[in-house]
Amino acid sequence: MYEIKRFDQKHIGKFLTKKNELTSKLKIMNKKLFRNYSIPSKVKTLASIAFLFLFLSVVQLYGNTIQEREISGKITDTNGISLPGVSIAIRGTTKGVQSDFEGNYSIKASTGQQLIFTYIGMKAINIIIDSSSTINIKMEESSENLDEVVVVAYGKQSKKSIVGSVVVVGEEIIKKQNATTITTAIQGSVPGVTMIASGGQPGANPTIRIRGIGSISGSASPLFIVDGAPYNGNINVFSADQIASITVLKDASSTALYGSRAANGVILITTKQGKRNTSPRVTIKSTVGLSNQAITPHKTLNTDQQFTASWEALRNTGLYVNGEDAATSANNATTGLLDFLRYNPYGPTVTEPVDSNGNLVSSTKLWETDWRDVFFNDSAIRKEHSLSVSGGSENTTIFLSANYLNQEGSIKTSNFERITTRLNLNTNVNKWFSAGLGVSYSTSKQNTPIQSGTSTESATNWAWKISSIYPLYQRDENGAIMLDALGNRISDYGSRASQAINGQRPFSPNQNAYSQLFVNDSKNTRDDITLNGNFKIAFSDNLNFTTRLSHTNFLYDSFGYYSSEFGSAVGTKGSVTQTRDAYITTNLTNSLNYSKNFGNHNIAASLMQEAYKYKNKNLSATGIGFLPNSKTLTNSTTPEDVSGYDVETRIESYLGRLTYNYKNKYFLEGSYRRDGTTRFSSENRWGNFFSVGGSWVISDEPFLENSEILNYFKLKASYGELGNSDGIGNFPYITSFLAGYNEGDQTGVLLAFPNDPNITWEKTASFNAGLDFGLFNSALKGTVEYYNRESIDLFYNVPTPASTGATSFTTNAGSLRNYGLEISLDSKNVSNKNFEWTSSFNISFGKNEILELTQKQFISGTKRWEVGKSLYEFYIREYAGVDIDTGEALWYADILDTEGEPTGERETTNDFGDATRYDTGKSSLPKFYGGFTNYLRFGNFDMNILLNYSFGSYIYDTSYASLMHSYGSAGTAASIDLLDRWQQPGDITNVPRLLNSNNNYNSTSDRFLFKNDYVRLKAVNIGYNLPTTALSNYGITGLRLFLQGDNLATFQSHKGIDPEQSLSGTTNQRALNQRTYSFGVNLEF
Amino acid sequence: MKNSYIKITLIIFLLFNATSCDKDFLEEPKATTGISPDIVFASEDGINAYMSGIIRYIRTVWSSVDSSGLNAMYYARSVKGNDVINKATWYRWDYANDYREASSTRSRFTWNMSYIIIDETNYLIQGAESATEIGDDYRTQIIAQAKAIRAFFYFQLAMEFQHTYTYDASLPAPPLYKEPASNTGPKGMSTLHEMYSFILEDLIFATENLTTDRISRSYINVNVANGMLARVYQTMHNWTGAEAAAIKAYGGDSNSVLFPEQYNNGFDDIVESNEWLWGAIQTDDQNQGWTGAPHVIADHNVLSYYGTYFNNDFVNLFSDTDVRKLFNNKYNASENNFWHWVTSKFAFSFEADIPLMRTAEMLLIDAEAKYHNGNTTDAHNVLFALQSNRDPNAIKSSNTGQDLLDEILVERRKELYAEMGVEWFDAKRYRKGITRTGNHRIGAPASLTPDDKRFFLKIPQAEIDSNEFIDESVNKDR
Repeated sequence: MYEIKRFDQKHIGKFLTKKNELTSKLKIMNKKLFRNYSIPSKVKTLASIAFLFLFLSVVQLYGNTIQEREISGKITDTNGISLPGVSIAIRGTTKGVQSDFEGNYSIKASTGQQLIFTYIGMKAINIIIDSSSTINIKMEESSENLDEVVVVAYGKQSKKSIVGSVVVVGEEIIKKQNATTITTAIQGSVPGVTMIASGGQPGANPTIRIRGIGSISGSASPLFIVDGAPYNGNINVFSADQIASITVLKDASSTALYGSRAANGVILITTKQGKRNTSPRVTIKSTVGLSNQAITPHKTLNTDQQFTASWEALRNTGLYVNGEDAATSANNATTGLLDFLRYNPYGPTVTEPVDSNGNLVSSTKLWETDWRDVFFNDSAIRKEHSLSVSGGSENTTIFLSANYLNQEGSIKTSNFERITTRLNLNTNVNKWFSAGLGVSYSTSKQNTPIQSGTSTESATNWAWKISSIYPLYQRDENGAIMLDALGNRISDYGSRASQAINGQRPFSPNQNAYSQLFVNDSKNTRDDITLNGNFKIAFSDNLNFTTRLSHTNFLYDSFGYYSSEFGSAVGTKGSVTQTRDAYITTNLTNSLNYSKNFGNHNIAASLMQEAYKYKNKNLSATGIGFLPNSKTLTNSTTPEDVSGYDVETRIESYLGRLTYNYKNKYFLEGSYRRDGTTRFSSENRWGNFFSVGGSWVISDEPFLENSEILNYFKLKASYGELGNSDGIGNFPYITSFLAGYNEGDQTGVLLAFPNDPNITWEKTASFNAGLDFGLFNSALKGTVEYYNRESIDLFYNVPTPASTGATSFTTNAGSLRNYGLEISLDSKNVSNKNFEWTSSFNISFGKNEILELTQKQFISGTKRWEVGKSLYEFYIREYAGVDIDTGEALWYADILDTEGEPTGERETTNDFGDATRYDTGKSSLPKFYGGFTNYLRFGNFDMNILLNYSFGSYIYDTSYASLMHSYGSAGTAASIDLLDRWQQPGDITNVPRLLNSNNNYNSTSDRFLFKNDYVRLKAVNIGYNLPTTALSNYGITGLRLFLQGDNLATFQSHKGIDPEQSLSGTTNQRALNQRTYSFGVNLEF
Repeated sequence: MKNSYIKITLIIFLLFNATSCDKDFLEEPKATTGISPDIVFASEDGINAYMSGIIRYIRTVWSSVDSSGLNAMYYARSVKGNDVINKATWYRWDYANDYREASSTRSRFTWNMSYIIIDETNYLIQGAESATEIGDDYRTQIIAQAKAIRAFFYFQLAMEFQHTYTYDASLPAPPLYKEPASNTGPKGMSTLHEMYSFILEDLIFATENLTTDRISRSYINVNVANGMLARVYQTMHNWTGAEAAAIKAYGGDSNSVLFPEQYNNGFDDIVESNEWLWGAIQTDDQNQGWTGAPHVIADHNVLSYYGTYFNNDFVNLFSDTDVRKLFNNKYNASENNFWHWVTSKFAFSFEADIPLMRTAEMLLIDAEAKYHNGNTTDAHNVLFALQSNRDPNAIKSSNTGQDLLDEILVERRKELYAEMGVEWFDAKRYRKGITRTGNHRIGAPASLTPDDKRFFLKIPQAEIDSNEFIDESVNKDR
């Protein structure tokens, strides 16, 4: 075995001795076990069998060695670059080895046996052993990675045989990004997948939609399958280095086997396995980085500008609203300014900071707070370390890994710390029996201070909105810092009524979101234990039976503490709410698989049965009345609230798949699934789902076989009908009385809004047609696909007239269509020994259209849903600029005829309520989006650059709107664009006058609707691989040093907020995405 | 051979396993978090629980601070007048008299919450009528209670979505459902006349069948039903009816129902507040949290929204010996600042109970009705009973005619400020308008002319969009 070569000579003897001892001991054990072993008459769990067989197989790992001649050699590609990891097998045996880091191999075989060399992307080579003991191999690239096997629903298929739309994100893509949550690695690499990052909280998951949005009231998220089993925990429990691939299944033929849950696409996550016939390889990877904010937020007025602008707003109110004359209003503004703002950073000597001409009296200040600097963590540390051991004998493989991650978030105190461990074992016990077990445990802690929304305690609400005129720490009337008895500064909660100046902050009185980052807690802990066992019995070469049992226990604990001393819970002396949810998923799959070749006819069939249980056990309690620093529920004075429930969903399924191909040229595939679920009433719970698909490899036809230009060409098409049952609760068909409306000591119940007792699946009919091609000896490869998904019988909270006592009725109604085109191209631009350059590019076009509603139209937030339009088209008022004479904001309104119908003419109005809402024709969904990757290698240096982009979408920037107020309330930060405001009659500007009284100037209109095109430099990885010759003396097989940058640059049409906000194109004052610079080392031995 | 045995055993085991899926596999999980209607209507306890749920919903947290519970409807009215000033915080748009659009939360909240309660009462009445396991006395009592609640919320809808009854009773009013909407489907607009007839029918049934008994003062008894009826008659200018109902509501003996020493107790404890006929009783674990208006807006002494201030002109109406003069210049603000006066009338905490109807109001309805019925002397007496109770130095009125009525209405404002929107209610039913004076944050632009459209709300757009019997024209000229 070649592994011996990898040990320093002086250790070999020792190693051999030990190994021999061990082998003989184990052989004895092995014999004993077999003698005593018989199948118990009643086996209770499949897992126990799997375990037992696993153990036996580990024993067999140290199997026999046959004395044969040693064949060795070196394997290179056509450029002479050594190829590590090439599989070398002896035909007709289970024996095989892999080439080492330098492409060398060595295998024991005898003359006349046939060696098969295989490597992904290369043409396989068969060599019959003659008398020579050295066989050097030069492998050629295959025209297409057709023999590459990809993970698909319930199994694997070769790329060539796939009739649908399947995209694999492999390890090589995953490892070139800092994917704290692994799904982020999909962005930019898979056409047809819309992904929106979730901001600056590490461990938060992105929003993912595959081929548009296929549901209105239900869930439109894809189904996650991890190592063959549905996953219901939080996807952030996985660490990227343990993932072998992420496969995105987009069309019906690839997803139909997931039946009732497949309508919105499926994401298969496959964890790493050891490779057969490789000696244990240890990989240590360590990355350390620093993060700041990926973009620069909107710029705001400084303290001086805030004072003069506030003065102007007060003056204008006197002048234009209260009817005062110019002098009076200016005087009142000057005398009333500090009463309005309440804080005086100019110090006690400046009693009226702005004079009656609107000019600053002084610009010397005691403080000017940069609140963003206060809240943002611009040197957030990210650390990730992992250790894995991977290898395998002839019959058994092992992968063992541990990963530690600690990442600070964009807002101070926000963080995510995770430990993930995984063990995957697989073994062939004998010729007909194999078994595998995956065990993983992941535990994480996350501090998630409020970092979105408009809560007065939200860190981001403060960072965006509080004016620099307010200090972080308490100041006395003279502006001097106040200290507590211990001499420490005191956080300013802005609610000291006794202190007229610098004591009563109008902005969020009695709160100090910065201090509250530290005195409050918002902690999530997650523990995920997954056991995933399988065994396979081969009854014959053509028929086998596989059972897979998986069990996940995901425990989510959220803990919220509000301080007893500061802020909103002072009145109740603090409060603690702790919620514990256990999500327990058990999935059992049995499958019978048959495959056979009849000459040129190749058939494969599978019959499967699946049982799925998903249980949520919830318990939540709130207690109030705590001593300072005491945060344990049990220490509360008053237990305030207790709630809890157990709910369960089960699905019983029968599945089948039939594939046929003729000469590996014409492919046909059909799949069928029948699901019964507890989500619907017994009359409606069974549903049938199916797909059919076919493909034709035209390039294998005689007329193209020898084409120099077009070396690969495949047409494919599929159609299928799928279901969705997620997102509407566990018993959506039952209308019951709701408990919890207790009145004093009386139990109270209320009748819930009605549901349709016959509610059942959402159904999606999905069509996919495409072509794959390879040009110029596959230097340019590509895929073009068109899809059309029509979703009918949507879960739909049909709006009902509120006068009926319910605003909605949940039923199946309405229909949506998503259609589009996806193109991906891969090119090999240069490839030689010293320089290599490859590019891949993908682009997706997609549209969403409402096909059917229960009423003509209705308004949903900033959108109006109407047949023929998109769910995501903005329907808001149109801003008509500023009245040149009055400085008021104007909007457009339809001129109505006597019947109240629009005449088609428009007028402008200064009354927001009278303004008409219009279809803007602008959608929050992009017209096209995708990614562009370039890989360059110069000798031992390599560089990978991943860009993702999105064009044609619009965003309604609420954050900007809230900075474009006109000083209706005091002390709110304002955009520097207010400098362009209307100031006097005749001013031509787009920014209305400042006004300290209620107005709608910054209410929702297209004034704040912006084009949201962007290109983001999502990931850059620059690495240097130390020459193996320099390392081998130290027993090291690989050492890579690399720099990793994530979100390094963002080019966007609308600056000031992150371009990735929400599907609906509205913003929520969310923490900014992080830009991360890391340095890493990857060591293998 | 050995292998074959194992193989065969495994095959048998696996086939058994594969085909033996439990028949009950899909039947076992049950909905555990709801309660079926059969259980609710099968006992008095069950129906009581339904009534309790409705009572609780009257103080529900519906969506936000300015739209939670009946008290939010009340407080929104309070800030529309001239007496209360509201900071630019929650209720700021009500304060500006500019929160009535078809898409405004105010319109939706008032409409939706009222109709939810109405449909629940309809369902309860229907269920109680056909329930077989309950006694007839109980049946009548519980139906009477439900009808009072139903009428009360129809009355709110009638006031909030149209001119007052005496302006033109033939005007369209919100839809009228006399039974659960699941029986009838959606309905179109009714008229004020139809609606008030139905309100009276319900309230008369309630006043005739309810007793003084009830579980707590958050529930409806005969006194509360009479108080509701008195307000309705007041609005309809039926002064004989108003006088009779008001007297039945407070009992007729002014001495036994007024407790001036309780006026400054913070208006937060129904047990210590014997004047409260009806209130929302909050507890540690059942409360509106940060949405409990008026307390959460008006209290400046504990953490709250610090939103409520008072007009100098209003504060000046009180004599210094009046127990209701609970104003102070907490922020040392100069007189022309709107935050000059705050009140200590309301003490906020999560447990603060919220007054919904008090005896003093009934006394003043009595006085007002007596005035209209030509009984000036008794009107003077009843008015003075309250005035002298509140202020030992009060002098009995010698006003007559409009002056007397004005004095009664001012007394109502002084007595009920920030509780139920008394000023708005009176201005609306007398078709008077409200002129903003003094140190308002928003002055003249928020003044209301007599019969101003801003006295009522537009029909919510969501209703128009989903109700086939109501179209856009309903808001024409609204």
